[in-house]
Amino acid sequence: MGTDPNTLDGLMARLADGDRTVFARVFELLWGPIHRLCVSLLKNDADASDAAQEAMHKILERASDYDKTRPAMPWAMALAAWECRTLARKRNRRREETDEPSNERGGEHPEEEFEQRDLTAAAVSALGELSDTDRETLVATFWDEAASVSGATLRKRRERALDRFRKTFRRLYGLD
Amino acid sequence: MDSTDLARLERRVRWAYERGRLRRALLGVAPVFVIVAVTACVAHQPMSTLWFGLATVSVGAAMLWYGRDPQKAVLPGIAAGLVPLVLALCANSMHSCGADGCSSLCVHACAVGGVVAGLAVASVGNQRRAGIWFWLSASSLTLLTGAMGCSCIGYSGVAGLGIGFAAGVVPGLLRTVFAKKTS
Repeated sequence: MGTDPNTLDGLMARLADGDRTVFARVFELLWGPIHRLCVSLLKNDADASDAAQEAMHKILERASDYDKTRPAMPWAMALAAWECRTLARKRNRRREETDEPSNERGGEHPEEEFEQRDLTAAAVSALGELSDTDRETLVATFWDEAASVSGATLRKRRERALDRFRKTFRRLYGLD
Repeated sequence: MDSTDLARLERRVRWAYERGRLRRALLGVAPVFVIVAVTACVAHQPMSTLWFGLATVSVGAAMLWYGRDPQKAVLPGIAAGLVPLVLALCANSMHSCGADGCSSLCVHACAVGGVVAGLAVASVGNQRRAGIWFWLSASSLTLLTGAMGCSCIGYSGVAGLGIGFAAGVVPGLLRTVFAKKTS
């Protein structure tokens, strides 16, 4: 594959190959987007930080398994989204158990924010039910990242992924 | 997160990366365990087979963990080493008997297997235009794998393997070296 060795894809390929000199650069390139994704999904700085750290841990632990034919960022984002989902679930479960008032970032409309967070957690949860390819396509679409395919193939894949996502969401929560 | 926390996270993640590589390396050498076990069951001197097998597994795992050229040499190295190993195991059960008594075919089998393995490694190395680390890594793994079977009559079998291997690999290696010098 003629990937530029200085792009994230190229650097990830080199890291997967055992070139440790690019480790710091890969870490630097991934941290920002992963952290932002976690903040947007979890709406809580502390939780987002925890999830992003855990996600970085998982992503780089699996760096050697990275498939060089696929773009690195959506792959990493999918792993991070999964991590956020896991953490959100864990937190929700704990909140249900303790039934304590939340001391997370409060807004003017805490009810709305709570609903929004639940909805996001539900979406991430539904995303977790999809295949790797579907998840990667949807995350790439969300982040406007280049997917491994383009043009008509990407549109078709996106349509199918969205369709499956809708069905999964309906199956899990009974609504669109 | 401030820069100290980030640096700490980077260190932690780096360990995770190394652990991930190690886990993958151990999975990668798992089939070699099967080869060692089968060889030890068939070989006449299972102890030396086990020692060479242990060395093969350790060196193979280290190469897979390290990555780059040594990692790429693991499969060709072990595959080439299987030739003298199988030949030596077959020769173990055969004898050539003459007027002076019987002699084992093990050394001959190891030498012939070594030549074939050397040619195979040289062919892959030339095809890939591999660097010196590939040649060294593939050669060491080939010799260790072959030695599991060639230790059948003591170290003369291993010496036969080494000489045969050198005879097979050196022309290819020289071809690569001179091709690099002229280009």
